[in-house]
Amino acid sequence: MTLHRYAVRIVRTLAGGCVAVLLAIGLASGEDAVATHWSLRPVARPTVPDIGMAAESSRDLQPIDAFIVEKLRANGLNLSLPADRETWIRRVTLDLTGLPPTPDEIANYLADSSPQADEILVDRLLASPAYGEQWGRHWLDVVRFAESEGFEYDRHRAGAWRFRDYVIDAFHRDKPYDEFLLEQLAGDELAAVEVSDGRVISEGLSERQRELLVASGFQRLGAVRRNAGNPELAFSRHEVLTEMTDIVGTAILGLSLGCARCHDHKFDPIPQVDYYHLQAFMAAAQEFDCPLANTAEQARWKATTEAIQKEIAELKKSIPGLQGAEADERKARIDELQRSLPPPLPTISAIRNDENRRTPIHLLKRGNTEKREQQVGPRSLALVSTTSALELSPDTVAPRTSLAKWLVDPGNPLTPRVIVNRIWQRHFGRGIVATPNDFGVNGAEPTHRELLDWLATRFVESGWRFKPLHRLIVLSATYRQASGIPVASDPENRWLSRFPRRRLAAEEVRDAMLQVSGRLNLKQGGPSVMVPVDVDQVMLLYAPAQWEVTADASEHDRRSIYLIAKRNLRLSFLEMFDQPDAQSSCAQREASTHALQSLELLNGAFSNDLAKAFATRLLREAGDGACEQVTRAWQLAAGRPPTERELRLGMEFLKTQPLEEFALAVFNLNAFLYVN
Amino acid sequence: MWDRQRMIDRGRREFLAQAFCGIGSLAVAALAAGERAEAGITNPLEARKAHEPAAAKSVIFLFMAGGPSHLETFDPKPLLNELSGQVRPTEFGDAKHQFIQAGAKLLGSARKFAKQGECGTEISDLFPHTARCVDDIAVIRSCYGERVVHSAAQYELFSGRLMPGSPSMGAWIAYGLGSESQSLPAYVVLPDPKGALEGGQPMYANGFLPAVYQPTMFRGGSRPVRNLDLPAGVSASGRRETIRLIRELNEAGGADDPEFAARIGTYDLAFRMQTEAPEVFELGNETAETLALYGVGTEPTDDYGRRCLMARRLVERGVRFTVVVSGGGAGNMQWDAHADIEENHQRMARQTDQPVAALLTDLKRRGLLEETLVLWGGEFGRSPEAQDGKGRDHHNLGFSMWMAGGGVQGGRIVGATDAIGLKAVERPCHFRDIHATILRQLGLEQDELTFPHQGRRERLTFLHGTPLDELL
Repeated sequence: MTLHRYAVRIVRTLAGGCVAVLLAIGLASGEDAVATHWSLRPVARPTVPDIGMAAESSRDLQPIDAFIVEKLRANGLNLSLPADRETWIRRVTLDLTGLPPTPDEIANYLADSSPQADEILVDRLLASPAYGEQWGRHWLDVVRFAESEGFEYDRHRAGAWRFRDYVIDAFHRDKPYDEFLLEQLAGDELAAVEVSDGRVISEGLSERQRELLVASGFQRLGAVRRNAGNPELAFSRHEVLTEMTDIVGTAILGLSLGCARCHDHKFDPIPQVDYYHLQAFMAAAQEFDCPLANTAEQARWKATTEAIQKEIAELKKSIPGLQGAEADERKARIDELQRSLPPPLPTISAIRNDENRRTPIHLLKRGNTEKREQQVGPRSLALVSTTSALELSPDTVAPRTSLAKWLVDPGNPLTPRVIVNRIWQRHFGRGIVATPNDFGVNGAEPTHRELLDWLATRFVESGWRFKPLHRLIVLSATYRQASGIPVASDPENRWLSRFPRRRLAAEEVRDAMLQVSGRLNLKQGGPSVMVPVDVDQVMLLYAPAQWEVTADASEHDRRSIYLIAKRNLRLSFLEMFDQPDAQSSCAQREASTHALQSLELLNGAFSNDLAKAFATRLLREAGDGACEQVTRAWQLAAGRPPTERELRLGMEFLKTQPLEEFALAVFNLNAFLYVN
Repeated sequence: MWDRQRMIDRGRREFLAQAFCGIGSLAVAALAAGERAEAGITNPLEARKAHEPAAAKSVIFLFMAGGPSHLETFDPKPLLNELSGQVRPTEFGDAKHQFIQAGAKLLGSARKFAKQGECGTEISDLFPHTARCVDDIAVIRSCYGERVVHSAAQYELFSGRLMPGSPSMGAWIAYGLGSESQSLPAYVVLPDPKGALEGGQPMYANGFLPAVYQPTMFRGGSRPVRNLDLPAGVSASGRRETIRLIRELNEAGGADDPEFAARIGTYDLAFRMQTEAPEVFELGNETAETLALYGVGTEPTDDYGRRCLMARRLVERGVRFTVVVSGGGAGNMQWDAHADIEENHQRMARQTDQPVAALLTDLKRRGLLEETLVLWGGEFGRSPEAQDGKGRDHHNLGFSMWMAGGGVQGGRIVGATDAIGLKAVERPCHFRDIHATILRQLGLEQDELTFPHQGRRERLTFLHGTPLDELL
């Protein structure tokens, strides 16, 4: 193997001046290698530090805690006291399910004083469908899941919601992560569906084949530009391949591969040619809208829609050149016709290898599709050389299966490290590596490298399963600590001397408001929901007819993960609370605090509507006594009874103000919006 | 590194000192983001100092969506008229268009150009009003971008990238400078009520910047900002009590955490926005002379006139970045003149020329033009070749934009296209140069205005832009 040597230039702005740091990274087997970046070294099997657990016998310390306590002590700190049980159940329930615990759940837990109470609770939460919905959401953020293609047309991908259900189900059933990746990268290759002319030859797909094809929709999640007019075919295809390649780096390897598209990576040891070798795994991958209807049903659908489609096409052709009322009339007619179409036939948004349309992959000078250099075949990145880093022939059968196998090869240290770090980050608000999408030289150094490797080892040994990992984490003493503001010597709480308090994420705020007001519809899965929005927002769509409000109003109260993920129209409410835009991978959500959020919660239609529902519920469950109403509201929203002062303030308010205003105020409380 | 304890102490002190609607409690808003905290900034929208002394404090972008022709407006080409009807001579080189094919015939312009003002810059008779402001305008005749389709070109114009997902210049500037207004957002978009654009919402968006830097999209009608009005049936005095309860309960729950303190502060600002911001929407406070100047109340200028006037009112109150969009809906309702350049551009010009000139005049007489950078232009220009006989296709290799105010020297012409207006040949000016110029005029360093994302320190100018010194 050749020795790669890369000069890595890091430019950092220090106190107004620029300091260039030259850092050489060598990667080699054989010759003396300069120190390799930590994340590329094999995963170690660290022993759990001996911190003299007996001395801490007052609490139940886990191996995780030993790693944490060791660093805390080295920094002159220690764990905080455990949080009270009420705080802990709200924390762990919101964390694992995205929903606050109900007063009954809290009461049952508090009544159970057995030593197994916590484990029983955690197991129940992990087994609930809400767990899949909550942790599936995290993966969907990372892979920038959306059901529409973005750019001007923002077309909806038929059956795109199936991928969302696939992810939720995978978490719910605790699908091993290596399998999960294999299916997403190469589901179509594993399904081995015979296709001719875009049609599935065999009548009927097995359940397993369906699942695999749905999983392969992973490679259709990037935004797609549909050109009108003179198509820049090569450029558009390159954009699609770029999306497919970059997401493997960002989501799975924690590497910003995109930089190597135009030049050797400035920070990480990824030469430009490696980028194109990786892209070559996707060279034959093409969109595949796999029909689930049989031939007869397809023919019937075509027959009923042909005339309408033809009229739409003719109207569309006639509009350029027209203006004013005439153009508006025709546009309205198009909308009307589009709405009159019967619902599209069930489809899977998948990919498949089309050998006849394989894109020859060349090294592109400066990433320019018009500047092709040598042609390259599939080859895994040299920076993680596992058993072999040989270049495959461009027409290798099932190339993406090979890629997936390399990603989860025992010799690849990045894949398990990156995913356990993501899990840790979602539990503690900050990763052991604070840059979850960047494990490269430019990323953050791990605060607890041994812990990261210990978790990665445990994760792989327990079959790449998430649920045992969650269990380890949430049952630790580190996770059980009381929250609070960070100590002065550790303002970012890197050493975890308290549990980090967090604001609920956008979907959690919405879902919790629905649950607290008694309106949450817990229906699982199925086609996505479109809720009513301001007409101005719809008119800002290129095709306003795309926004078809779901007729059944009870669907509007479903969990946020079942609302359509449309790139060009996001719900203002969710956007306000930092829901990511699904244009690029989101590793970590922002939690901004600003006045428009307060206006949304105070004056927005959603919160005022739900405040009424909440008030009705309070009246029903607590009767008309102010004391009972206030108490019930706190139990529902904050998971605890009000303090004496809180109770008094609420009761005084209710002497002169209506109950629904009190209900609205509750949605605005830190006790509701934050997890302690 | 910032001193969190100091922040906490300061936060506690300040908000405890505040009355119900106290101004200072704003100062403890949002401490979550380390970047801002590092800079010692506590409210993400608090006005902050530029990196360098700045000529301009705010920007108004008059966005001519769809791509106005340079050949009919600011870039006279006598040779194009001479060659009209012929195939483009090969010496001018190649160009990619969206629809027209190789072999298309050149199309001369029917517009008459004349030297205007003291500077003598030539402007066509499409813009008689704008022509009277020419001594304040610097025309950039050599603009170019990477793409010839609307969406990608619009993303590049706004964010410097060809793909959606990166912050627009308005979001970057709000991030860099905050807002001078205590009751209005920092970044406002006034879309054309006629309909959507190809780039859609992501074109204006904050991308990976925190949600606080998102654009506030004004709706049509007299209440353009969402959630500023109390819901039906709720009285202002009643709601005041509710906000008081929220404050008291949140304080009772412990305001030791600066983020909690910040959250309490946002309710003060929200209340102030609710009571003070609506005043800005009341154009009725303007004199009859001003309304007439903008063409408010007269067609076809009423709509764009109202929005230009609104832009002035926003700038007056400290809004940093305002986009006033001309064009929306189907292509021909934008400047996207594929079918008939004359019909389209005359119509679009009649809607906008008077309001644009009024805005410059009004800003100037109020002393606001010096500190307000006005940018005019679209995502590209139009082809020298005809499309379907009378139209022009998209064209990204050479076209015109202009700037006025904000330290820009009026009466200048920067750069040039070749003799038929095909390519920018003299001082080619990429969108990144436009971005770099705007940042420079605002006193922001393009290399210092960064945000960490996906392992990079991202900035507005992906590749370094060269500010247009020729404008100064």
